[in-house]
Amino acid sequence: MNLKKYLVRALHRLQKGPGYTYKELLVWYCDNTNTHGPKRIIKEGPKKKLIWFFLTLLFASLVFWQWGILINTYLSYNVTSSLSIGFKTMKFPAVTICNANPFKYSEVKPLLKELDRLIEAALERILQPTPGNSSENLSPPLDLELWNQIPLVLIDEHDKDNPIILDIFETNQTAVGNETAVGNETAKKYKLAVKLCSHQGSDNCTYRNFSSAAQAVTEWYILQSTSILSKVPLHERIRMGYQAEDMILACLYGAEPCNYKNFTQIYHPDHGNCYIFNWGMDEEALNSSNPGAEFGLKLILDISQQDYIPYLSSAAGARLMLHQQKSFPFLKDQGIYAMAGTETSIGVLVDELERMGYPYSDCTMNGSDVPVKNLYSQYNTSYSIQACLRSCFQNHMVEICGCGHYMFPLPEGVTYCNNEDNPGWAYCYSSLRSSIKQRQICIDSCKETCNDTQYKMTISMADWPSEASEDWIFHILSYERDMSTNVTLDRNGIIKLNIYFQEYNYRTISESAATTIVWLLSSLGGQFGFWMGGSVLCLIEFGEIIIDSLWITVINVIGWCKGLKQRRARARYPDAPPTVSELVEAHTNLGFQPEAPGAVPRPEVLPPEPGTPPPNYDSLRVRPLDALGPDSD
Amino acid sequence: APRAPGKKITARLKRTLPVRGPQAPTLSELMRWYCLNTNTHGCRRIVVSRGRLRRLLWILLTLSAVGLILWQCAELLMNYYSASVSVTVQFQKLPFPAVTICNINPYKYSAMKEYLSELDKETKKALETFYGFSEGKSKVRRSVDDWNSTGSNFFQHIPLLKVEDFSRTATDLHSGQKRKIEGSVFHKDSSIVNSGDSNDIIGFQLCDANNSSECALYTFSSGVNAIQEWYKLHYMNIMAQIPLETKEKLSYSADDLLLTCFFDGLSCDKRHFTRFHHPLHGNCYTFNSGDNGTILSTSTGGSEYGLQVVLYIDEADYNPFLVTSSGAKIIVHDQNEYPFIEDIGTEIETAAATSIGMHFTRSRKLSKPYSDCTETGADIPVENLYNKSYSLQICLHSCFQKAMVDSCGCAQYAQPLPAGAEYCNYKKNPNWMYCYYRLHEKFVKEQLGCQQICKDACSFKEWALTTSIAQWPSTVSEDWMLRVLSWDKGQKLNKKLNKTDLANLMVFYKDLNERFISENPANTLVILLSNFGGQLGLWMSCSVVCVIEIVEVFFIDSLSIVLRRQWQKAKKWWRDRQRGGSGKAPRAGDPERQGHDNPACIDEDLPTFTTALRLPLPQDSPLPRTPPPNYSTLRLETAFTEQLPDTVELGQ
Repeated sequence: MNLKKYLVRALHRLQKGPGYTYKELLVWYCDNTNTHGPKRIIKEGPKKKLIWFFLTLLFASLVFWQWGILINTYLSYNVTSSLSIGFKTMKFPAVTICNANPFKYSEVKPLLKELDRLIEAALERILQPTPGNSSENLSPPLDLELWNQIPLVLIDEHDKDNPIILDIFETNQTAVGNETAVGNETAKKYKLAVKLCSHQGSDNCTYRNFSSAAQAVTEWYILQSTSILSKVPLHERIRMGYQAEDMILACLYGAEPCNYKNFTQIYHPDHGNCYIFNWGMDEEALNSSNPGAEFGLKLILDISQQDYIPYLSSAAGARLMLHQQKSFPFLKDQGIYAMAGTETSIGVLVDELERMGYPYSDCTMNGSDVPVKNLYSQYNTSYSIQACLRSCFQNHMVEICGCGHYMFPLPEGVTYCNNEDNPGWAYCYSSLRSSIKQRQICIDSCKETCNDTQYKMTISMADWPSEASEDWIFHILSYERDMSTNVTLDRNGIIKLNIYFQEYNYRTISESAATTIVWLLSSLGGQFGFWMGGSVLCLIEFGEIIIDSLWITVINVIGWCKGLKQRRARARYPDAPPTVSELVEAHTNLGFQPEAPGAVPRPEVLPPEPGTPPPNYDSLRVRPLDALGPDSD
Repeated sequence: APRAPGKKITARLKRTLPVRGPQAPTLSELMRWYCLNTNTHGCRRIVVSRGRLRRLLWILLTLSAVGLILWQCAELLMNYYSASVSVTVQFQKLPFPAVTICNINPYKYSAMKEYLSELDKETKKALETFYGFSEGKSKVRRSVDDWNSTGSNFFQHIPLLKVEDFSRTATDLHSGQKRKIEGSVFHKDSSIVNSGDSNDIIGFQLCDANNSSECALYTFSSGVNAIQEWYKLHYMNIMAQIPLETKEKLSYSADDLLLTCFFDGLSCDKRHFTRFHHPLHGNCYTFNSGDNGTILSTSTGGSEYGLQVVLYIDEADYNPFLVTSSGAKIIVHDQNEYPFIEDIGTEIETAAATSIGMHFTRSRKLSKPYSDCTETGADIPVENLYNKSYSLQICLHSCFQKAMVDSCGCAQYAQPLPAGAEYCNYKKNPNWMYCYYRLHEKFVKEQLGCQQICKDACSFKEWALTTSIAQWPSTVSEDWMLRVLSWDKGQKLNKKLNKTDLANLMVFYKDLNERFISENPANTLVILLSNFGGQLGLWMSCSVVCVIEIVEVFFIDSLSIVLRRQWQKAKKWWRDRQRGGSGKAPRAGDPERQGHDNPACIDEDLPTFTTALRLPLPQDSPLPRTPPPNYSTLRLETAFTEQLPDTVELGQ
């Protein structure tokens, strides 16, 4: 019933409305629309009419084309960057301090004793090929089983195509004989390599070549010591490392004194015990509101170089790194060295990049959408790309080799690799590490963080302590640490560090959307307005006209159906043939035929003469002369 | 017959598309018509407003709106060529840059003995004469004797001088005689002349060989600088005469320089290095130069995965006068870039491990018309003498070298040779030193125009380096490390390397984040047009259609009206003349006068759209026969075409 009422009303409106035929409707629209072109079409003379028609078409297509471009631009989600530089009170970065050497040699010596004897003997063999070294006979026999797990071999490359592999201990006699025969000047032809086998005694072996023997020895030692140390429980490893009270001798933050208790201990596989200042895990992070060395962190460290493991790390110094609060320090990547016997000043500029996340760029806010299980979350640290890559590697390692690598945190229920339980781990690790495919998988699955903070450091160095002040400084520091009047420190172990904000301490690049919805609307409006002077209302007008024309179509269709029905009815009942006037009436009045007999509102609304325009349209066209003019022509 | 259809069509066209004149007979009528019918707002208000004040107000408002539009659009146009900066960070596998490593000392001193012995003797003599320094009395005396025997040497021509500032006399190194200084005095170290307290200044005098009265005296506040500069001058002179092959042999070989090499967890050797001969630094070695077609890349950051080399710096074989510091110099650069190691190299200390963390940034500027940079350097009128891609440094050096060849006739030793030129040496170009110093001074003072010609490159790659140093080898590992490295080097076993002869270098990516800073056009044509549209629409609701209207009305129609009037005047004047001065025709006969038939009848209150809509037309009245007078003024085309057939051409 409602529908019928609505239809009746609609028809009513239409009959009062702009026109009954398409042409009238169009003319009415052109005359009354607010867009600029169409009015010209009907107002001008025939030639101009044509020109205006094409111009309007052209402008309309231009508008649509440019709208397409604008919408495309919007959907490409561009960003604009804004840069700000200056000084503001900022959180002082977390400072991680480690010794380049992971363990005290004096503590770890019992574990590594065999290994050291082996490498010493091997070096002896390599460097001094003259037989009959008497000292060798006196020492206890070497642990050849340990050696054979991952042996070092000499590769004789005199014959490039057919290198001879010499085991240092087993083929002792031949190797010596060879070397003495060829003499010293060709000693370079020998290369040291690490032999890695998938199982002990199996033939599936690779030789890792090194251009330098020094490199080979270091690499071999790292592999062996890793295997030994991985069996040591964590608390024992922490005990063997450097203790905070031994390492951090003095600390001053701004004007406030601080001591080793202000540092958070963390066990780092590369560097043993590391100490983090201002990590922000337990208490609020410290702020620094003044630039300059006076207001920064001042530290005096002792690295006790005498207690270094000789073969493990050849560089001596402190390793330090500045990083964000609650993030894990990846010292191998971002760390810097501080040399012993010097004062190192580090001016810091915080270089931040704040990016918009999806869909503007493919970055992650907190790493929750990365398909790699973050193993570093056990330290309660935030996501970083380094953590992701390492976790990815460790996961692969566990999957392929069946055990975890000592340098990375362990997933649940997995143990670290060692020579006894996993004899082929070094081979497996070595091939995995050099596998490009594995790296690419990790690179593809890890995403960078949206907020990228870097600490730009300006590093300068000076000798410290000066010769004049050396004596008393060493005396006091030794006394404070060891409560003895003997000097226990020397130039080779002591480091002074100053870390402070520079005069401009931040440079922030932040992104904002270049194209917002407001921008899009104003640009669309601008285009429409520029070419046609149109607005949203014009679009609504256009829509209205389309609805009207639909109605006209409906009416026409109904009228035509009715006509068809009538004709059929007439055909079925062939009475007297209809008169001409009847036919004419049927045709001319098609538009005014009601759809249903009940819907006819007022029969008198029907115009008395078909073809005469309804008077109300005349009132719109206030130009009777116009109508007259052509007539009079 | 064949022309008939054509004619028919034209006739038909004429009939269906009749040409009509402008919208109004006179200019003021035209304006009125325009104001009433235009699409822009404001104009209509002027016409329909009642009262002078209101009309004036509307005129002012409309005019100010037009002014605002013009101003804003001009502003938009001027800001069209502005750029916005975008920074993207991409985490990816990064290409490893080329790393060029040089020993600070260019050539082995022992090998250079035969070329430099004369010069060294001279230098030692100067040191003894002026400063009383001697390594051993007997040696110096012998060298003095030697010099006396070979008196024809060119060092004599440019000797070191001790200048007494007040008397302006100089003591010659050789003759010991004092002589008056003529010409200008250049202080190389500072432009301020030392005042009084030290009147002993060391320097040297360079004279124009063709015109001996033109001399320039170069003085230095410190003898260290003076002797080094003087030595360098003669050194370049000597080196210019030695062919390249010999020089390469005199310098260090890859085996000499590189002890160990390790890249990306794998061992590497001298085959990964390309030799590159630098005129001032001898043989340098470029890691990953890309010469063999492949560029190594890193897919893991961190010190283990970068380049690790141990360098052998043979300090005992250093040239004592040419270089006074020891160590190596490295530069990180792109494979296509020329390493300007003397300008932007980083020095590496011996007996230390230098760890260099890199952070990669790529930048791109927009070229013309946004900024004045060059994409390839092809548009710079300076020939690129280096076989590498364009950079500002290359341009400046090439520009200077070109100026040098043009004005001195020979090329400077430190830069590559242009085609057809050769390096300066004293035998062939006795004048070159004076010329070079003069030119160099001009260059520094930007008088050569090189700084104006050369533009910076639009895109460049930058590796920001964080350098830190640790002691290496550590005291406990020193012993075995030096022994093993000696074995590596294949030296005699009794001779161990000294740790001050070694330098450990690590170059690695701190992270694999590549920062890409690029400029993008802030405006495109689409956005400019949108902004125009916004401005036009905001102030006057105007569009391109209005602009066309304005062109139509104010230019075509007005012009045609003016022209027609002129034409009629001319015609009338001609007719009058033909009639033979029968007096002026009555003015009432003017056709355009007839257009204004009822000027008084114009209805001030025009029907607005709404009133017109609501006003019911009289139902009983038939089609109106008499047009209202005001409309007739607008539409008088029929009358015009009949009366003035000549306007057909003019109107179109």
